[in-house]
Amino acid sequence: MNARRWASRLHLPTLGVALVIVAAWLALSWRYGAYVLPSPAAVARGFADIVASGEIWRHTAASLGRIVVGFGGAVVVALLAGLAAFLSRTARGVIHDFVSVLNSTSVFVWIVISIIWFGLSNWAPIFTTFMITLPVIASNIVEGVENVDRRLLEMGDVYRLAGRQKFTAIVVPSTLPYLLAGMKVGFGLALKVSVVAEIFGVTSGIGYVMNYSREILATQMVFVWALVMILVMTATDKLVFDAISRRLDRWR
Amino acid sequence: MAVTLEVVGVGKDFLIPVIDSVSFTVEAGEFVCLLGPNGCGKTTLLRIVGGLEPPTRGRVLLGGEPVAGRGRHTRKVGVVFQEDRLLPWMTLRENVELVLLPLGVDARTRRATAERYLRLAGLAGFEGYYPARVSGGMRQRAAIARALAIEPDLLLMDEPFGALDAQNRRIMQAEVRRIWHETGRTIVFVTHAIEEAVAIGTALIMLSARPSRIRAEVRNDGRLARATLVDDLNALIMEEVERQQGASSTS
Repeated sequence: MNARRWASRLHLPTLGVALVIVAAWLALSWRYGAYVLPSPAAVARGFADIVASGEIWRHTAASLGRIVVGFGGAVVVALLAGLAAFLSRTARGVIHDFVSVLNSTSVFVWIVISIIWFGLSNWAPIFTTFMITLPVIASNIVEGVENVDRRLLEMGDVYRLAGRQKFTAIVVPSTLPYLLAGMKVGFGLALKVSVVAEIFGVTSGIGYVMNYSREILATQMVFVWALVMILVMTATDKLVFDAISRRLDRWR
Repeated sequence: MAVTLEVVGVGKDFLIPVIDSVSFTVEAGEFVCLLGPNGCGKTTLLRIVGGLEPPTRGRVLLGGEPVAGRGRHTRKVGVVFQEDRLLPWMTLRENVELVLLPLGVDARTRRATAERYLRLAGLAGFEGYYPARVSGGMRQRAAIARALAIEPDLLLMDEPFGALDAQNRRIMQAEVRRIWHETGRTIVFVTHAIEEAVAIGTALIMLSARPSRIRAEVRNDGRLARATLVDDLNALIMEEVERQQGASSTS
């Protein structure tokens, strides 16, 4: 393989830019001090600490646990919405409208509502994650359902396939790429939103420990946990979503 | 079980009348080509015959049973469309097996039948391939295999070779003729290419310009020399094409 392909495989251009940014970071943190902008070395040390102490796993697991529940719930409801959209044009219209409403509702509204309804508990981040990711995944699924090739469905009619056979053989495989795209975006959103919701009232998780670090003026730990979030997202993308995507795309 | 197709007084209006009135009968085992200028309603007529669209007037009976409408259909109709309409996420074999599901046969029989018809269509060895990995001609062969696999009472083909290059087209015409000989199916084949129709059909029905009626019905059993037939039909179709252009430029 020639040099250029290796370079792009390893994301060398990106790494190059990243190095420039780190150099700029070093300079700026030296200029502005550790509270405003901790040095890259301090962040690296902080990261090593939480790995050594095992804290990284404790808080990451706590956050992921809540995300999986909220996100999982959203996927289930979105699938039901997709089924309804397939069966009924009226349902499709209703779903579109509700999705618009949900999309325009701010994260904070859900956080406040969930604290009022569920108190300061795990349910605040879970409910918030659910309400924010639901419209994203649902609108992707509905778009997938709307974009099923009508000519293939007609072929199904010609050969007298039953409704259920048309659904599993034609609608589902046709919609899966849309679902996966929605889930990928939704998961990224879930991560960001859940972490914010964790500021209010829980005692574990990435959002909690980030906020705690801010309160005790350990700014470098805020950056460390931000790095952890980036790693979680990258790992999920590569190990989960891209793997599923490759499997689904076998036939292309 | 020999089954006859009867098209009785079929007419179709889409805002404007497309098909005026068409009646013809196709006996079992015939290979009928439907010809006509573009836009005369050949595809619409084929879709009506296949039960995909209801006629505005008239009716279509296959073996005495209406093809349209709800309710149980005991007659089987296979359709090969202009696009192959294969499911891209299934292999060629799975695509053929799929249409055998409603027939209630077990999995082993489905697989054997699928492979038999894929082989008949010249795709031996490619059963496990995905449609994206084979050529357009091969995909159409798979679509033909799929239509044949249900052992239909009637096989409808709507300009199935339109997207193929000239050589492949020639090859596929010969293939369809061979398959017809080997299976004895009743075929109604729509095309606007006179040469193609004369090369493969046993009977030719030419439709007039829109709103269409039958302009000519010819038996192609070798009595008339091919070249003569092609010339005569070409003359007829040119008249109809001009009539259609004339009509649309004055309307």
